[in-house]
Amino acid sequence: MFFSKALFKQSMKANWVKWLSVTVATCVMLAIVIIVLGSLSINDIRDSLKGVFAQADQEAELKEGAIDSYDAYLSSVEFENGIVTLTGSPFWDGAFVSIKDEITEAYDNSKAGYELQNGVSAQGEDLKQLQLTTSNALAEQFFQMAGSMLGDATQDDLAQLIYILILTYENNPESFDDANSANLVEAINNQYYAYVYDMAYDLALQEENATVINATSSAISAKEVAQKGVGAYVPSAEFDINDYKTTARDEVNELIRNQAYNSFNIVETSTDEQKEEANQYAIAAKVISNTAISTYELWLTEGATVEEARLQATVSITGQIDEKVAEALEELGNMDIYGLIIGSIFYRIAGILLPMVYVIMVANGLLAGQVDSGSMAYVLSTPTKRRTVSTTQMLYLLASLLAMFACVTAVSVVSIWIVGGNSFAINFGEILLFNLGAFLTMFAFAGFCFMCSAIFNRTKYSLSIGGGISIFMLVCTILGLFGSNVVPSAMRIDQMNVFNYLSMISLFDTNLILAGGLTFFIGFGVLAFIGVISFIIGTIVFDRKDLPL
Amino acid sequence: MEKELTPLIQAENLTKDYGQGRGVFDLNFSIKKGETFGFVGTNGSGKTTTIRQIMGFIKPQKGFVKINGMDAWQDSCEIKKYVSYVPGEIAFPDLKDGITFLKNQAELLGIKNLDYANYLIKKLQLDPSANLKRMSKGMKQKTALVAALMSDKEILILDEPTTGLDPLMRETFIDLIFEQKKKGKTILMSSQMFDELERTCDRVALIFNGRIIDIADINELKSSTRKIYKIEFLQKVDYQKFKRLRYKIIRDQKQYNQVTIDIDDKDINRLFKTLKNYQVKFIAEIKFNLEKHFKDVLAEQLKGEK
Repeated sequence: MFFSKALFKQSMKANWVKWLSVTVATCVMLAIVIIVLGSLSINDIRDSLKGVFAQADQEAELKEGAIDSYDAYLSSVEFENGIVTLTGSPFWDGAFVSIKDEITEAYDNSKAGYELQNGVSAQGEDLKQLQLTTSNALAEQFFQMAGSMLGDATQDDLAQLIYILILTYENNPESFDDANSANLVEAINNQYYAYVYDMAYDLALQEENATVINATSSAISAKEVAQKGVGAYVPSAEFDINDYKTTARDEVNELIRNQAYNSFNIVETSTDEQKEEANQYAIAAKVISNTAISTYELWLTEGATVEEARLQATVSITGQIDEKVAEALEELGNMDIYGLIIGSIFYRIAGILLPMVYVIMVANGLLAGQVDSGSMAYVLSTPTKRRTVSTTQMLYLLASLLAMFACVTAVSVVSIWIVGGNSFAINFGEILLFNLGAFLTMFAFAGFCFMCSAIFNRTKYSLSIGGGISIFMLVCTILGLFGSNVVPSAMRIDQMNVFNYLSMISLFDTNLILAGGLTFFIGFGVLAFIGVISFIIGTIVFDRKDLPL
Repeated sequence: MEKELTPLIQAENLTKDYGQGRGVFDLNFSIKKGETFGFVGTNGSGKTTTIRQIMGFIKPQKGFVKINGMDAWQDSCEIKKYVSYVPGEIAFPDLKDGITFLKNQAELLGIKNLDYANYLIKKLQLDPSANLKRMSKGMKQKTALVAALMSDKEILILDEPTTGLDPLMRETFIDLIFEQKKKGKTILMSSQMFDELERTCDRVALIFNGRIIDIADINELKSSTRKIYKIEFLQKVDYQKFKRLRYKIIRDQKQYNQVTIDIDDKDINRLFKTLKNYQVKFIAEIKFNLEKHFKDVLAEQLKGEK
């Protein structure tokens, strides 16, 4: 039996005041830290910083999108020396040009043949008929080409128009390029719109909960979009590139506004507030879009390259500040203030400072202090084994430490419960692991101080080695904090991290606990091992050494 | 009878060398049951080191101490069932008052009946409710004595128990030792005071520089027939005349006309007859005591070393 009840009671009587004061002080500190942090919204600044960065990202994206759309609008025309030429076309441009050329060529050929025949033989009428046939065949060919592109559009009108066109050309070749070609274009366009309308209608009907009204409205929208698109390609006499740019910008602004509004999923049942919010957001988006495009255009006008202009136009608030500062600010926004204050500062430094002082004082007083003063003689002059003395004192130290952390744990759990339980930044599981980690850290220090107390006969050596190294490690942890990644890089000095390698408190990593996973248990295991080994060495040494009693 | 002959405490070649001549070297002594044994010596002579080895607090480098046949180091816990100890340096555990301390000590000793402890407290006129830290040296010593004696064990080891006590307290203490002696206790005590050892002890060992120079038997010493007289003459003539007579003069002080002589009891009458014819200023007997004895032994020892 290596336990002496009387000695245990004696140690309790000698140390209960220290125990009580340290426990109460630590518990009060912890409760204040958690409850104050919990009731003040210290994350407001952090959240707003975070918001700034999220908004900046969104803004940059929006600006990119606006400029992309604007560029697409502009690239559909080629503007050179004041002459606008069409470069892109939904479908008819190339076809029309080639068909027109073919028609012209075929007609000219047949007409030449007719005129030739007309003068020398009576077969002229036949040839005229042939020319008409040829025209019809050509019209048919064009009709088929256009038709294949238009799908099942109403084709009669088209055929009719083409025929009229050819006749017109026959009668007055000079007028061919003007009004009639415009008519042709309009006809084809109308076919295209009809096609888009039908397609959109069919697609909309296939949607879930589709109604005819819905389908119609989406078909109309599709048709409108198609009209706008085609309209943009149609060169007109009054075409002015600056007007066009203005149009393009307005169109893009409007498009972005609609997109922004739609992202709120506003339906008819939505409240006015929701609608208003969506509206505000949409307006803001439109303003940003407008700013981006205007800036872009301005830079281009001033002679910047497209890349430069784009860079200048899409730059966000965060893009305007130095990259390192931006990173630091973003990190500050992402910093877990609760984890830093409760985990890294309280449980690894402030909260274990007093228990550490308790452990240093009590561990010394349990053996070395009593050997140094000589009072150990009263215990050892009774039939009490040295082994019994050392294990009893060790048990007292551990039991008191355990009781201390039981109180701290209870206070921490209740405080977390008061500030909202699991909805608080640090949940019950995490706070329990913090307490376990802090206890194991103190267990290791208790073992170390106890070992020193068992080895040395003089308080001054026991305290300066056991207590000195313990306090040294705590100070290293404080200094190391400024080099650890829990501190935002703005305040961090990476070289200070070297201090973390000098302190065994580093084995208790609150960040690993907050990050999830189980790797923190390795450190816990090492701390427990250090404690156990130290206690064993202390007990063995105390058993064998000379005591000056 | 036989049992009494086997020594209760026995040290053989007990050595603990702390270097630079400090420590104790080759101590041999044995203490019989019921005997009161004293250690006398100057500060740092090795009294406490010897007692610590007897208590099993430090391990001898050579030799051993046996108590009741058990090795003091190996069976240090077992021997505490027979041994009570009053340490030389009085420092109590960090407890509130004397009562708390004594109760705690009783619990460690496994004593349930505190009658004897209360008797001791009364006898020593101790106020045990006093704060341990504020106790005077004498009160502390009394408290330590009660703590040691209350278990009523066979052997009592006291390391300089009277240091710092006032003369009155010292008398009370010596009374107490006599009482323990009467109870048949075996007592080992160290002191720097020759007279208290002379009064209480059966035998006294002189330790000097870590070695036992001599072990004196007090009874033998007390029954010694040697006497020492210091005589001063009024006139130089007498002084010179006296010196010519064949007395053993151990000290001669010309300037005072003084001589100190060593004389056996049977020659006393001859001395007085002689002195009748002289004008004597004063005559004083210097007791031949333990202190004188050890001084002689030490002087011889030092002479031998030279």
